[in-house]
Amino acid sequence: MVKLEFEHRQAGHCESGVTRNLLNYHNFKISEPMAFGIGAGLFFSYLPFLKMQHAPTTSFRVWPGQVFDRATKELGVKTNIHTFRNPKDSMEKLNAVLEQGYPVGLQVGTFHLPFFPPEYRMHYNMHNMIVYGHDNGNYYISDTLMEHLVEINYEDLMRVRFAKGAFAPQGRMYYPTHVPTDIDIRPAIVKGIRKTANNMVGIPFPIIGVKGIRYLAGRMRKWEKRLGPEKASYYLGQVLRMEEEVGTAGAGFRFIYGAFLEEASVVLNQPWLKELSIEMGENANKWREFSYLGSRNCKKRGKPDQSYDFLADILLEVADREEKIFKKLSTIK
Amino acid sequence: MEENYNPVYKDKSYGQYRELSYSYQDGGKFEKTVGFHDETDRLVLQQAWDLFRERIEDARQRVLAGKASPVVYYMEKNLLDPLNLSMMAGISLWRVKWHFKPNVFKRLSAKTLQKYAEAFNITIDQLKKVD
Repeated sequence: MVKLEFEHRQAGHCESGVTRNLLNYHNFKISEPMAFGIGAGLFFSYLPFLKMQHAPTTSFRVWPGQVFDRATKELGVKTNIHTFRNPKDSMEKLNAVLEQGYPVGLQVGTFHLPFFPPEYRMHYNMHNMIVYGHDNGNYYISDTLMEHLVEINYEDLMRVRFAKGAFAPQGRMYYPTHVPTDIDIRPAIVKGIRKTANNMVGIPFPIIGVKGIRYLAGRMRKWEKRLGPEKASYYLGQVLRMEEEVGTAGAGFRFIYGAFLEEASVVLNQPWLKELSIEMGENANKWREFSYLGSRNCKKRGKPDQSYDFLADILLEVADREEKIFKKLSTIK
Repeated sequence: MEENYNPVYKDKSYGQYRELSYSYQDGGKFEKTVGFHDETDRLVLQQAWDLFRERIEDARQRVLAGKASPVVYYMEKNLLDPLNLSMMAGISLWRVKWHFKPNVFKRLSAKTLQKYAEAFNITIDQLKKVD
């Protein structure tokens, strides 16, 4: 039996929260927006061909696992990452690592997760949480979505670690093994910002980044005609669920990213980043307005200020703002 | 985010957990708050659960009328689509769709039924009928 001294802190986004909490355990203090920004977590893509819960996928984040991987790599932290074929092996490895005294991050599916809020129990395989001890087949969990610490038993944990379907976690576990004491986070911040700026404005592909937002706006105008009112409003609801619900801390990570820019301007001593953080905050409020009006559209259709055309115009405005912000950010030195 | 628990969901067990979220106030201040779902969250989540319930009930009626096999019902009940079901059960997509026909389902081997039963986490006897 092991139970590590682990400080649980709630976070807006599961993966950057896990990264923050794991690094905190190794005495490297970093905030959640910082972990998110260095990990270059902000993204946008609209994938009309990949259906999730009967509607196209909209993603406001990078591939699962990348925030942790990038953040630790840029900071020079040594990590171990494992995936498994055999569920029993993965549990033995987990126990062995816990005995060594490392808390472990896990990628899990949410459908069978017993402590999870019931309204979120859909098939979503990209959730992250931390195990910080075990006792007689009972595992101690720190889930950044939850306010308090929770527990889970052996069978349930094995099932959620080997949830099948799209983006199957395959028992993925990760933990930092060595955190240097003299980390200079400034180059890591610059690299993270550059990577995000490139993701948003630098990739010449129509469904990714700022172009992806414009593409979604164009598709949205045609939804009602092509799909009928019922399905169109469900498609819109799906965009909003991805924006507000799946652990984004509001407005599709734009609030977190603004907080990151604010912090970065202090650390790097570059005041122009502070101005951009204000622009990012206003942009995030625009996203928030989009989801507010959009959700009214989902509830009751037909009002002129909540039509798909009107919402698409908001998206175009947001795309223009973000293009301006990230073009400026890509020049950072 | 709202400070008090506001039971607007149709299911009483929903929306009882407090979550952390960020917000931006004019003047350049980013804030962290912990609270319950606000109306936007409730509306879009409720919309998804409404659709799921509708699809489950629809599938149940179709199975009872003999127009679809119980695989369809359990697939909807587990919130799956054919592609995800094929990944979970380890059966190819076109075969999964083929098994949606009641007559085909009746002739399935015990081995295939076992695969579906494991994917849905039920017994084979349960799989053969809807509840």
